[in-house]
Amino acid sequence: MTYKEFKEKAFAYSKKIGIEACQINYQNNKNFSLSLGNGELEKYQDASSYKITLKVLKDGKIGSAFSESLEDAEKIVDEAYENLKLIDSEEINYFYDGKGKYLEMNTYSGKFEEMEVNKKLEFVNNIHKEISNDEKIAMVPMVVYQEIGIENKLSNTYGLDLENKMDGAFSYAMAVAKDTSPRSGVDYIVASDPSKLTLDFAKNVKKFAIEKIGSKSVKSGKYDVVFLNSAFSDVLGMFNHMLSAENIQKGLSPLKGKLNSKIGSNKLNIKDLAYYDGSISNTPFDSEGVPTKDKVILEDGILKTYLYDLKTAKKDKVEPTGNSISGRITYMNLFVEPGINSYEELLKKVNNGIVITEVEGMHSGANPISGDFSLGAQGLLIENGKIIRGVEQITISGNFLDMLSKVSEIGNDMKIGQNIVNPSVIIKQMDIAGNI
Amino acid sequence: MLSKETVEKILSTLLKHGGDFAEVFVEDKYDNRIEMKDNKIQKINSGIEKGIGIRGFLGTKSVYAYTNDFTEDNLLKVAKRVGQVLGEVTMNNIVLNFDKTEVQNIHPIHFYPQDIKKNEKVNIMKIASESAKNYSDLIKQVVVNFWDYDQKILVANSEGVFKQDRRIRNRLMINSIAEFNGARESGFYGPGAGMGFEFFNILNPREAGERASRIASRMVKADYIEAGKMPVIISNEFGGVIFHEAVGHALEASSVAKGASVFSGKLGEKVASECVSAVDDPTIPNAWGSANIDDEGTETKRNLLIEKGILKSYMIDKLGGRRMNMESTGSSRRMNYKFAPTSRMSNTFILAGDYYPEEIISNTNNGLYAKSLGGGSVNPSTGEFNFAVNEGYLVENGKITKPVRGATLIGKGYEVIKKIDMVGNDVARGQGMCGAASGSIPADVGQPTIRVSEIVVGGRNK
Repeated sequence: MTYKEFKEKAFAYSKKIGIEACQINYQNNKNFSLSLGNGELEKYQDASSYKITLKVLKDGKIGSAFSESLEDAEKIVDEAYENLKLIDSEEINYFYDGKGKYLEMNTYSGKFEEMEVNKKLEFVNNIHKEISNDEKIAMVPMVVYQEIGIENKLSNTYGLDLENKMDGAFSYAMAVAKDTSPRSGVDYIVASDPSKLTLDFAKNVKKFAIEKIGSKSVKSGKYDVVFLNSAFSDVLGMFNHMLSAENIQKGLSPLKGKLNSKIGSNKLNIKDLAYYDGSISNTPFDSEGVPTKDKVILEDGILKTYLYDLKTAKKDKVEPTGNSISGRITYMNLFVEPGINSYEELLKKVNNGIVITEVEGMHSGANPISGDFSLGAQGLLIENGKIIRGVEQITISGNFLDMLSKVSEIGNDMKIGQNIVNPSVIIKQMDIAGNI
Repeated sequence: MLSKETVEKILSTLLKHGGDFAEVFVEDKYDNRIEMKDNKIQKINSGIEKGIGIRGFLGTKSVYAYTNDFTEDNLLKVAKRVGQVLGEVTMNNIVLNFDKTEVQNIHPIHFYPQDIKKNEKVNIMKIASESAKNYSDLIKQVVVNFWDYDQKILVANSEGVFKQDRRIRNRLMINSIAEFNGARESGFYGPGAGMGFEFFNILNPREAGERASRIASRMVKADYIEAGKMPVIISNEFGGVIFHEAVGHALEASSVAKGASVFSGKLGEKVASECVSAVDDPTIPNAWGSANIDDEGTETKRNLLIEKGILKSYMIDKLGGRRMNMESTGSSRRMNYKFAPTSRMSNTFILAGDYYPEEIISNTNNGLYAKSLGGGSVNPSTGEFNFAVNEGYLVENGKITKPVRGATLIGKGYEVIKKIDMVGNDVARGQGMCGAASGSIPADVGQPTIRVSEIVVGGRNK
């Protein structure tokens, strides 16, 4: 059966058995990846697979089922309908009719697929060479290159009928420097176009590992810190839970009741962008088919909006913001506006303090319901505006919102992550625990 | 599943174009997840995942492809492409002599997921949800998740392996949120087993709900722990996550083989204190991380990793074995056909020692008693780990005194296992999902109550 036939059959059958509306999402994922371990080609993967997710709507309830086969459309409708009948939540759900205005954006170049495999191999080999050409580097256990290609189709019986293709790639690497105990450095790059696959991040991997040689812990206390862009991005990830209108409505976010009030430093301006040049999470519509759009999250530290899907928007009587991704509410490209300071200027401004280069344990040590966090971290010690040694075996702790209010300077060193684009920042007086 | 003829064609097509080893992995899985919030069913999603992974080796080079287009034309095309990428060595006239022995099932199942009405599953969830909610007035929200699956697999390779297996899992997960004076804390308990629905004859959902709420309601009233270096007593069962993260991952061939583990080249050496012995055992009947065969078709076995502090074994898959010149230990696992398998843990735990847990506590002047740990993570190259303590208590003058929250344990795995100075006699295991290169897989962690003479505990500064 072709997808078109599957869709028609499922729509006709769901109507026949008395279902109000039926929605089908077809996703075909291509996945090409290469990885080197100590310079040796360790893994080569070239694959594709598709998945159908089918949802049925009746009396405000949604039942869903999935399949990785295009056979038996009726059985999948039956399974989804059976699931729907068990739902006893009083929440009202909706499908979107597709009448909104969709932004035109280019999310597919096809250039990754065209690129010869040899070029991709050359790229990972060059990363390996770039990192390992220093005698302080003991090994490069991992260099990974991964391409993403997604073909996405979304249709429902209300007339929604959307299609989008996207492609992109990311690469990351890890180096280990020689020392009394091993020191690691990691960095990554995200590329929306093969021309953006440059070796700059490999230089960082090497630098990050070497900088940590001779690392020691520090005395516990309050320190001014420069949060390196990639580490700050990890912590900013707590916003994902907090900005979700669903969590706000259920009282599970510390941002509840904070709309139009100040939650961060004056200097913080944060947006959610439907499209950011260079990002690989751009999309003209979300998982519910709602158009994506730009919106201001934080203006001079003041919270301007939450993020909504169809259900939560109706409840708050606002427009949906197009932020539903696979059943969760999430930002598309969380964009922290850059400041004027280079990374070096941030070091000078802190003068004495610590650069936090990595945080660990976000999934267990950070509680987005309260905003409290206590995380393992690594970094660099700054004395008189200069980095003098590595810092290991420390934890940083505090509260996310309190931390946002202590942002005193913002860098201009923008880093594109999976769906966050942000610079390094200075945060005053963070609690750091060490073992000296 | 595929016929032997088709499998033979795939394997020989691959080797005709290149490589010295070919493998096919076929998966047909029914997966069902139900979510309940505050006693109401919110979401149910169920369906079929079905696909084929084709892998080839040439020496230590590995190429992997997967597809869910089952037409023979496509499968042979994919096999050819894998062979071509491997190149160099090509093998013609391959004669495959498939092993005819059936896989012996040591994990009997009584009730398969698709044979149990979803209503019955919902009933179990309601019992857990109600008991969690009624545990205390402090409980503001209870989320209960139910997950069961039925995974049928076929693994065949050019060494004559042709094996089928079926893995059933059932799990109940309860997340309670307590609120007190504007502060919120959550408590989690997620028991599971490699069993059918009969698991709920053993597991009492009422007690499971209460346990999640106990953690949340005790922690919400707790003070923040003061950061510092101190002795830490880690309770049995899920406390074993510390060994899993801090040591287990660094014993997997995926990091050992390339010399990227702190334990590379240390077989036969003393790596832990004498009171520490540990195993990875996928043969425990019906355990959460168990299986008859691994995802490369190798029969699983109990693997003694550390004996009285001496490193005895790693966890090895076929590719890792090629790199290390060692045999597979039956430790190759993957989340599904979308992942090439690699060396992973199954049910990994520290073996019983001599002390009663009460003795360990009464022998500790001042420190932290970590009753329940949250997830953690580790960098296998440096051994650096971190864990959140979900339920912690202060130990003062040999007695557990008051609950504390906000504690994080950090350190280096290879240092911490040398600092374990007391091991209890109360071994128990807990269930978790372990995420690594070959995806997220069910794994048991475990240990008796242990004491580590000192760990850096992150918390608030006074």
